[in-house]
Amino acid sequence: MVDPCADLSSWEGHPCHGLGVDSRARVIGRRLLVALVVIVQLALVARGYWSAHKEFAFQMFPESSTWRAEIVRVTADGTRVPVSQPWAGYRWDELVTGRGLGNPEFRHHADAGLDNQLAFLDAALDYVADNTPRDGETRYLEATVTTWHNTDGPEVTVIRSDDRPGAT
Amino acid sequence: MTATATAAPDRPASLAEAVDGLLGRRVSIRSLALLRVLVGPVTLLHLRPFVTDALNGRIYRDAFYEPYASWYPELPRPLYGVVLAVGVVAAVAMSLGFCTRVATGATFGIVAYNLFLSTTHVHSNRAYLVIVLAVLTIAPCGRELSVDAWIRARRGHPTLDPRAPAWPLWLLRFEAAAVYGASGLSKLVDPDWFGGTVTWHRIVQVRDRLDASPLPGWAVSLLADRPFHTVAAKLIVITELFIAIGLWWRATRYAAVWVAVCFHVAIEVSASVQVFSLLAIAALVIWAVPSTRDRMVMIDPENRRHRRLVPVIGALDWLARFRVVDGARGAPVTLTDRDGTVSAGAPAVARVLSRLPPTAWFALPTLLLPAARRARRHQIPDPTGHAGDSEGAVRPGLAAGGPR
Repeated sequence: MVDPCADLSSWEGHPCHGLGVDSRARVIGRRLLVALVVIVQLALVARGYWSAHKEFAFQMFPESSTWRAEIVRVTADGTRVPVSQPWAGYRWDELVTGRGLGNPEFRHHADAGLDNQLAFLDAALDYVADNTPRDGETRYLEATVTTWHNTDGPEVTVIRSDDRPGAT
Repeated sequence: MTATATAAPDRPASLAEAVDGLLGRRVSIRSLALLRVLVGPVTLLHLRPFVTDALNGRIYRDAFYEPYASWYPELPRPLYGVVLAVGVVAAVAMSLGFCTRVATGATFGIVAYNLFLSTTHVHSNRAYLVIVLAVLTIAPCGRELSVDAWIRARRGHPTLDPRAPAWPLWLLRFEAAAVYGASGLSKLVDPDWFGGTVTWHRIVQVRDRLDASPLPGWAVSLLADRPFHTVAAKLIVITELFIAIGLWWRATRYAAVWVAVCFHVAIEVSASVQVFSLLAIAALVIWAVPSTRDRMVMIDPENRRHRRLVPVIGALDWLARFRVVDGARGAPVTLTDRDGTVSAGAPAVARVLSRLPPTAWFALPTLLLPAARRARRHQIPDPTGHAGDSEGAVRPGLAAGGPR
């Protein structure tokens, strides 16, 4: 049987209008929930234009930008040791995988944009600094990042992890 | 419940009342039931890398991860593995429609929990999957195409109303359109993107892979041509925005669906997007008008070619759009659309195929042929909504309440 409620392109004059089968509380709750979802989604889309992480902003393939980083451990005496060299039983490419961060010395595509990539790299430095308890000599990690925004020329940024307490 | 009011309805008194009427209108949830079936395998594909790592003794926190909040609960390693296993079982049960409400809720809960464990887990395709699962959890999408419905029928219980308030469907439509709209808009406002720099530069970066690909030399040259991208980038942006907007209107909906399928296939071939293409193509079913069995196909039961059409419709009519009835001997296949428009012969068959999800993409372009357009004539609709079906008997299993 044809459903008279089926034609959704024309609301006016619809026989289902005004059937009044739902309670007032349910109707208002439904209205509020839908409005909330719509507002939150639109806010997340807008947030994507300034936030490094663009959750639910659906900005896909945003840039052709690329990046490369030289990451060193800076010890208490100021020595700078590349993380490509294993230390205290740790290896960078085992501690940091995914998001193109495992081999930072090679030039990579920043597939979710440079801001996003640098935010991940920054967080990765902190993660390594915080999760290498056998390392008693590193004071902090530092990444010298070369970025190419789309076809623009290179820019260099330096990112540092938090200081590690107790480095000797 | 079936609304059969015949009196002229009141106009909504206010915008709020109009919105409430729209959200609360009872519509067929068939498309969400079908989406539930399709999203099960997509969820399994999504979970596969996490499960594979866990089976190999590695989980997310064995390497760099970044929690969203310090209070977000993290499970002990064995329990995390159990949760992933439950997620897999729940996704299978959800797809089959077994304990649908619980299974869908569990699938949503586990996929969402896993997603928000770390900023590194979040990608657009996974966010979209969580949204789809959230809506499927809200909607009563287990009343059709489910083991639950089959068990209920076996036990002799009455079939549950396959219709429900429309608001979950509208929400999912909004979210689906938002995915295309947000993506298109972000490219539109970025001069590098709209001007073609981004796509051209990406091609330049992977030129060696293109040279090694099976693509012919002229195609590689074209793809690497900068002026080509000046046009192509605009086409991409227009395509995304057209899909986002075109899906909302009946006049453009089929074109938008057809373009969307092409778009996702092109993305799948050219980029690594995890489950995005499969999910997005599956989610296109939500744009079907949410009513069932409101198109009638009349066949000549003595005609072998006509009879062949019956199992095709039975097997592929996943959105339950058609009733097949026996018509007069010697008459061509006749399709009466929901608006009373009638087509007959080959154009009718093409039109039927254009409304079946697995064949729609192939059949839709044939509707643009002049013969197909000429073949439609308008019939005054039967006020009961059964335009023209008084002549024939409904074929068993292909009417409302037929196979679930």
